[in-house]
Amino acid sequence: MTQKNRLQDGGRIDRSKALTFTYNGKKYTGFEGDTLASALLANGVDIIGRSFKYSRPRGIVAAGAEEPNAIMQVGATEATQIPNVRATQQSLYGGLVAGSTNGWPSVDNDMMGLVGKVGGKMMPPGFYYKTFMYPKSMWETYESFIRKAAGLGRAPKENDPDIYDKMNQHCDVIIVGAGPAGLAAALTAARAGARVIIADEQNEFGGSLLSSTELLDGKPAAEWVADVVKELSTYDDVLMLPNSQVNGYHDHNFLTIQQHCTDQFADRAPNGQVAQRYHRVRAKWVVLATGAHERPLVYGNNDVPGCMVANAVSTYINRYGVVPGKNLVLMTSNNNAYRTALDWHDAGRNVVAIVDSRKNPQGTFVDAARERGISIMVGSGVIEAHGSKRVTGVSIAPLNDAGDAVVGPIIKMAADTVASSGGWSPVIHLSCHTGSRPVWNDDILGFVPGTTYQKQLTAGAINGSFTTEQALAEGVSAAADALTHLGMTKKDVVLPKAETIEEGKAMALFHIPHTKPTSKAPKQFVDYQNDVTASGIELACREGFESIEHVKRYTAMGFGTDQGKLGNINGMAIAAKMLNQTIPQTGTTIFRPNYTPVTFGAIAGRDCGALFDPERYTAMHAWHVERGAKFEDVGQWKRPWYYPQGNETMQQALDRECLATRKSVGILDASTLGKIDIQGKDAREFLGRVYTNAWAKLPVGKCRYGLMCGEDGMVFDDGVTSCLAENHFLMTTTSGGAARVLSWLEIYHQTEWPELEVFFTSVTDHWSTMTISGPNSRKLLEKLTDYDVSKENMAFMDWKPMTVAGVPARVFRISFTGELSFEINVQANYGMHVWKALFEHGEEFNLTPYGTETMHILRAEKGFIIAGQDTDGSVHPFDLGMSWAVSMQKPFSFIGKRGMQREDCVRENRKQLVGLKTIDPKAVLPEGAQGVLDPKAPIPMPMVGHVTSSYWSANLNRSVAMGFVKGGLDKMGERVFYPLADGRVIEAEICSPVFLDPKGERQNV
Amino acid sequence: MSDVTVAESKLVTKQLPEADIVGESPLHHADLASVSQHGPKEGGVYFHERKLQGLLTLRCVPSAEQLSQIESLLGAALPMEPLTSVTTDAVSIRWISPDEWLIIVAGEQAFDLETRFYESMTGHYSLVNISGGTTIFDVSGSQVVNMLKKSTPVDLHPREFPVGKVVSTVFAKSGVTICRLEDDKYELVVRRSFADYLWLWIQDASREYGLVVKA
Repeated sequence: MTQKNRLQDGGRIDRSKALTFTYNGKKYTGFEGDTLASALLANGVDIIGRSFKYSRPRGIVAAGAEEPNAIMQVGATEATQIPNVRATQQSLYGGLVAGSTNGWPSVDNDMMGLVGKVGGKMMPPGFYYKTFMYPKSMWETYESFIRKAAGLGRAPKENDPDIYDKMNQHCDVIIVGAGPAGLAAALTAARAGARVIIADEQNEFGGSLLSSTELLDGKPAAEWVADVVKELSTYDDVLMLPNSQVNGYHDHNFLTIQQHCTDQFADRAPNGQVAQRYHRVRAKWVVLATGAHERPLVYGNNDVPGCMVANAVSTYINRYGVVPGKNLVLMTSNNNAYRTALDWHDAGRNVVAIVDSRKNPQGTFVDAARERGISIMVGSGVIEAHGSKRVTGVSIAPLNDAGDAVVGPIIKMAADTVASSGGWSPVIHLSCHTGSRPVWNDDILGFVPGTTYQKQLTAGAINGSFTTEQALAEGVSAAADALTHLGMTKKDVVLPKAETIEEGKAMALFHIPHTKPTSKAPKQFVDYQNDVTASGIELACREGFESIEHVKRYTAMGFGTDQGKLGNINGMAIAAKMLNQTIPQTGTTIFRPNYTPVTFGAIAGRDCGALFDPERYTAMHAWHVERGAKFEDVGQWKRPWYYPQGNETMQQALDRECLATRKSVGILDASTLGKIDIQGKDAREFLGRVYTNAWAKLPVGKCRYGLMCGEDGMVFDDGVTSCLAENHFLMTTTSGGAARVLSWLEIYHQTEWPELEVFFTSVTDHWSTMTISGPNSRKLLEKLTDYDVSKENMAFMDWKPMTVAGVPARVFRISFTGELSFEINVQANYGMHVWKALFEHGEEFNLTPYGTETMHILRAEKGFIIAGQDTDGSVHPFDLGMSWAVSMQKPFSFIGKRGMQREDCVRENRKQLVGLKTIDPKAVLPEGAQGVLDPKAPIPMPMVGHVTSSYWSANLNRSVAMGFVKGGLDKMGERVFYPLADGRVIEAEICSPVFLDPKGERQNV
Repeated sequence: MSDVTVAESKLVTKQLPEADIVGESPLHHADLASVSQHGPKEGGVYFHERKLQGLLTLRCVPSAEQLSQIESLLGAALPMEPLTSVTTDAVSIRWISPDEWLIIVAGEQAFDLETRFYESMTGHYSLVNISGGTTIFDVSGSQVVNMLKKSTPVDLHPREFPVGKVVSTVFAKSGVTICRLEDDKYELVVRRSFADYLWLWIQDASREYGLVVKA
């Protein structure tokens, strides 16, 4: 297909580099330097989508981020699909594949269009609320229908192969926007030696100057841009980010930028390169030079393809060498837009008429139009466009002075393009992200940034300073202000001379009246993307919505990816008129991040796949892997779960591990236990305050179990703490609770008891810990040490320093299995050496490695709790039947003492932890099952507590379980029932949780 | 046992075996020696595990007397200015917090230092050997700052992060202590259990610049 709308020369495209791309399955050609939008227009593609509610054909309206219609699905393969790409922001590259996100099944001949035509009245504002609220059960059906119709694009079904990453940036000044204001600011800041970041959404710097015919110092403005870019690139401390959308402005001058690295020139990033980078910027000062968006006027059928914003037409002509039609009607309320007619005319195409709402327009551009012999119809408006898939003509009518009534006969004229301009809206979105309310400026008929508490400056069109001369000057002065605040010295910046332009006064005009009332007139669109019309806003006002925030939510104006870039001001003006208010009285909704949609890839960055979350390994991890262990996540630790052999099932492996440990000896890698070194003369006192039990008399060389509670008296961690020396202790914590416990100790030390002389240091990673457990564990240890580990020299709950397998070790005779156990701790760099040495000598004892699951079973046979499994933050030590671990007699209080004596904590019938012995020994209760006392009670049955731990015990040849039962400690021998989802009811007897060796004889040998 | 001192106040024990038993650093499994032999020799980021060092955590609110004791024990004054460090041929001292310092010596010297502190230091302090739980990544090269910028929110510009500065901060989803050793060289002190994750992260973040592993 030929590029029928392409000019022979001009623009910033390279006609020697033709690029082939595919749009909705058809191949087209564009040039390097095109956007997808300019290439589509060059090829005469009029319809690029269907509107979401009425399914009307839509064309390209704008040329930048504000484009509401050309929202594309881009991607040549399933894995590289990107939804919601604005065609106006996507650089063209060879092989680009794009499609409309909506238009179902095809944009040119749409099924829903029939519904839309018939059903316009059936989908009024408040549509969701009115239609889809009831019946609630139907919502899922409605939702899929709406989503399909809503043109939201789709996520890829395959993994995206590209790399998206994040980078942290810091600077003195970040400048958002590289138009004349931004470039002048950057130059000023850079020359002063400031650290500068300048970011712009477009593929090259220059902003409005790239699409303007304006001269600076008598030369094309682009030459000045090139000079500035060249100079900026010579500064080490200036980071220039083209193709980078500043999408969020957050508190404390933290900004987020989505940089398109390779996706502006390739479907898939060349090997190793980053497709998109998300910059997280912390800036001392922010200069917003974000420019302005031209407002289209609201008139009948203003969404027919061919209706465009005036400046966008100029941009396509001047920057891309594309004239998107043959016969132009320009409607304007201001002088500036005359440039579009001049550009169109100068490109050799026909300007049918300039329709100016003002009675007596004057100024430089008006004169220029007259010189060219262009017909100007003053005091008039285009009240309606004609055509369906492309504009075929317009109805023009004279307007009254206020611009709110048609006062004369309609003239019909043929045209294929209607450009309109109602003036310019400063791009204040980012300034609103931090909560700043914009303020109305009557001189420029737009909102400008209001009071901010950020270190924020603004320059150029965002302030309503629309001329290039003003923009350049404000850029310099904003940067100078920033430099003053930073204590830096400004150097000279000589600005180029812009052309002098005389501008006549613009007219405040937003909504062009029709001969019919708005509700009966052809649809007058305010927000194209959300299909919000002038009559819809009027209806909302009539239905009693007086706050603009409510009007927005009722009509969906400015919702979603659009964020009201084109339509909001017009919508507010229409609401204001209905409510008989001024625009500032009506106020504005504010804008939220993100300014344009951000890909999930950019948000996720590299925190995906293998790097999603840290995996923490012990020093013996490689051995576990080699041995074929299955792993379990415990916090971020990868702990061996069990070690299957051959074709063993999990239960078979567990049975084998459990039996081997109780019959001979098993070994557990317990390195993940939290370990905290505690030193100082008040260490002992400190322990007494954070644990529930007594520590004053623990002798050197001894270990003791302790429970830790919160202020509320509820257990949150437990572990064994050993006395290494009079003022020196080693505390152990649960694997998952280590960091929390260390913080807990520090917080209490620093805020409550700073007078205590004690220091805490984490040694979790420093010690490798391996527990050998079982009747043969002593024999095994004796093979590796000369130390006397007999019962006489090393009793239960003793610890001793000794050498194991040639490595200095601290060995603790503590047990979580109820068996004779030795917990061997060595410096972690030697953990693997000792572990392997144990296996070298362990064969004769059938030394069996076991994982966390066997550990859980063995401890459950003994009724030992696991904090976090058998506790949930709502149980105190007495609920656990662990009154033996609480000392109410300590001279100083302990954390949780008061909490556990509250009225609710001492009442009758609290849930208490008990053993649960199923009547059928083979029945294993599911953990989490709820108990009831009467299985025949009507539903909802009164529940008495849930099962916390439950396993098959190979050693006991029956199930073992623990759980909470209301008043359970006084119900020994009574029955409790567990009705299950599958209809079974498991009956259990309430018993002591100690199923094995109640006297503790096995560990005390 | 002569290697063990159980006294009334603190326990100081020798933790290293005789030299014939070789320790395994946290990246032992990555076999960096062969990676360095077979991998690229040129690139934007260089990586080296400075392994099996002696690392100790000193916690103290030092009195004037303790300050001078520490200076004579370490052969260098304790850096009291936040986020600063002292590096000599024999010892590196990193400020961690107002009452905490990281001391790095040769691996076999840790116990010796602990013993000397125990013998002559007075007042309240703790000195804890964390050598087994910690390793050091030296990262360097022309693109090292870009790799670090992907990993940590700290400002690394020379004006804000001069040579010698130390920051304990977030690094990817873990934490490290970063010290700038030279213009293009940084020391990352990492915890053993996170070492593999951080090594994977650094490989990934360096990919576009080219990563060179040095044995």
